[in-house]
Amino acid sequence: MSREVSERAARVAPASRGSAPDAPIPNLVEQRIRFEPDGSVTAFSGKIEFGQGIRTAFAQIVAEELRLDPERVRMVMGDTAQVPFDRGTFGSRSIAQDGDALRKAAAYAREQLLRRASEKLGVARERLTIADGAVRDGGVRDGSRGLTYAALAADPPLAGEVPDDVPLTPASEHRVLGRPRARVEARDIVTGRATYVADVRLDGMLHGKRLQPPVRGARLRSLDDAAARAMPGVRVVRDGDFAGVVAERAAQAQAALDALEADWTSPNGDDQQTVVIPMREDDGVDAALASAAHVVEASYVLPYISNAPIGPSAAVADVRADEATIYAGTQRPFGLRTEIASALGLAEERVRVVPRMPSGTYGRNSVGDASFEAAMLSRLAKRPVLVQWTREEEFTYAPARPAAVLDAKVGVGADGSLVAWRYDEHTNAHGYGFAVDPRVAPFTSGRNAIPPYRFGKGRITLYIEPTPVRTASFRSLAAAENVFAIESLLDELAFAARTDPLTFRLRHIDDPRLRRVVEAVAERATLGERSSAGLGKGLACTIYHGTYCAQVAEVVIAANGTPRLTRFWCAVDPGLVVNPDGVRNQIEGGIQQSASWTLLEELGQRDGRITTTGWDTYPIATFRDAPEEIDVHVMGDEAKPSTGVGEPGTVPVAAAIANAIFAACGARVRELPIGAERVRRARPNG
Amino acid sequence: MKYRLRVNGGTRDVDVPRGTQLLEVLRDDLGLTGARYGCGRGQCGACFVLADSGRGPRAVASCLMAVDQAATVEITTVEGLAHDSELHPVQEAFAAGDAMQCGYCTSGMVISAVALLASSPKPSDAEIRDALAPNLCRCGVYTRAIRAVKRAAG
Ligand code: FES
Ligand code: FES
Repeated sequence: MSREVSERAARVAPASRGSAPDAPIPNLVEQRIRFEPDGSVTAFSGKIEFGQGIRTAFAQIVAEELRLDPERVRMVMGDTAQVPFDRGTFGSRSIAQDGDALRKAAAYAREQLLRRASEKLGVARERLTIADGAVRDGGVRDGSRGLTYAALAADPPLAGEVPDDVPLTPASEHRVLGRPRARVEARDIVTGRATYVADVRLDGMLHGKRLQPPVRGARLRSLDDAAARAMPGVRVVRDGDFAGVVAERAAQAQAALDALEADWTSPNGDDQQTVVIPMREDDGVDAALASAAHVVEASYVLPYISNAPIGPSAAVADVRADEATIYAGTQRPFGLRTEIASALGLAEERVRVVPRMPSGTYGRNSVGDASFEAAMLSRLAKRPVLVQWTREEEFTYAPARPAAVLDAKVGVGADGSLVAWRYDEHTNAHGYGFAVDPRVAPFTSGRNAIPPYRFGKGRITLYIEPTPVRTASFRSLAAAENVFAIESLLDELAFAARTDPLTFRLRHIDDPRLRRVVEAVAERATLGERSSAGLGKGLACTIYHGTYCAQVAEVVIAANGTPRLTRFWCAVDPGLVVNPDGVRNQIEGGIQQSASWTLLEELGQRDGRITTTGWDTYPIATFRDAPEEIDVHVMGDEAKPSTGVGEPGTVPVAAAIANAIFAACGARVRELPIGAERVRRARPNG
Repeated sequence: MKYRLRVNGGTRDVDVPRGTQLLEVLRDDLGLTGARYGCGRGQCGACFVLADSGRGPRAVASCLMAVDQAATVEITTVEGLAHDSELHPVQEAFAAGDAMQCGYCTSGMVISAVALLASSPKPSDAEIRDALAPNLCRCGVYTRAIRAVKRAAG
């Protein structure tokens, strides 16, 4: 408790930075690496750890370049008072971008310290050796003339912009990178000591609940709070349309919230329009289709689904007259700081966002609802406030993954090659707000709409349609939707052209790295071998943000049509691999989660109001649904930059499963989730 | 209302309203935040603790157990499993096998696994799946967790 409070005294970030969205962020060594007197190193990143293992990977990266044991590197992540500006943790870009910046900063620091040591000791650079955080004259055996990193870095303080061409440790000399490493948080997690957002306890802290408006934009016409006010330990607070309760105990706050009687006005319907974005427009698509030997025309449908974290949103805020501290499970600490500062009317530098581990979150924590509520309640109550959403609130108010309808008409020529590709993607906004920026949308709502194949003439159009459901970014954004359609289509086309799905794909792949993972996974899964009745294997692949990922699902269909995922194979090439076991864990988890989306999940809603309230009405995969084996073959490429693995594993799964179901029983299911009934209806003989 | 609870091998006195959930008492009155809130309805396993009424430990949802009832049993939370900084074999196996991502579900899984091994020291895969089925994990660590439980069973 006291530790949390004392952190208030730590220095506040000097100034707000980075208002222009794409201004390059300078990589300053003094903002990245700090040498401690005890020989350890503290390194700083604006990224957030929420289960993807980057705290461990970053420590490995810094340790490698500074020739340290990773145990000696402590990562400070996301605290806006301590770390350099960062736009946010998403898009599986953390290792690629911030890992690279940290690596260069550490390498640069090492080179500078070596230069200083060479001058101080009067010894040529080549004779110096480094070990355990000190530089020594390698020609002297007594070891007495070591200079510690901390001493070398102190005078004058090591500072300046890290040049882009700083010499990095070559892969052949890596001692830490590329080796499996247990997560640094593991021990705290298994003993229950890990502090999640909802575990932050401050002196004088109250429990708070916001009275949620029934729909976005509703206005509070009247509030009868007499019953709530009469409850012991409870206060009702209100500022315009924002109302809520704070109480000494969590259960009291909930009871008081339930006792509020509110009358809301409905907002005027907003007149949002469909945004149409052409993503590819070749001439002659229709002519090519008309001349095709086989044409497949199909629609694929995905429902709204929920992020559904096991821990619902939470936040703690301590708002004072002229400053505020927010403990949050955010993916965008600096973005959140801006939002909170403006909501509270404080200057940005008076607001400090301190990230704490959230429950695993898959895009949803780009939106800072609970933090905003905690900040408002704390300001009104003049006490620190913990907000903990209930399970029902999480399903009801958290943004959902957009729904999608993918309409395709694709042609294959007489020689078995793709000649024309027409594809309309209908979906909703995948951004953080509701406004659609047509320059950004192809990379969010249109992500992976362009197939990684040679497909002839193409016309690919993105339609972003308004919806009363609150939608936002979700793991892999639209890639999971598009790749379900595209990779299902590839199998349908192969079938039409009487080719097997592997050969058909390979015939249309130019990229050697994609070819490599596809061939590898097909071999490991013994794809193409005859299998027993009711059992089928399905292939799918993707290139996601530079990561190559190919998968094979094996399913068994029960007599009543229920598909069961029994085994799964994945070959992945994420460039230079930092922590192979970390890669495997992320990919395995992505597969398991995406299998759950595919087979089980659909968020209930009526006119934009979510009707799902709990796990009983939103089943996700359990231990009983887990496949017997998930085989992840990490085939990195040391010569290529590291790319992300948090999202790619989820992307081809739905199509791999749908293709396996087709292989098992001839049922082509084009709508998710795929349950027994959809399989039965699509099965040739019911 | 005053209650005397037996928690993690010691006794703890609390003064809380009658009927308060054990989960709230653990987290807000005793500072034991290892049991986590997930659903409050017995549907996710995040809040599981061991309860022993003399016939061996059982994994129970602390979000469904009132403090009144909790006062009649011996409670062990995830914080109470390690002894003198030596991890319980289940904890050891989960950490060694990296059977976690965000770790929010881990406390509950560890508790269910400890209860299982107490009654069935060499469980089959199917027994492990059944015993841990109440513990939901959104990050998808199920296959690793099954391996970890087997490893803990030796
Ligand atoms: S919080 Fe108790 S079972 Fe979900
Ligand atoms: S590890 Fe995140 S919910 Fe299980």
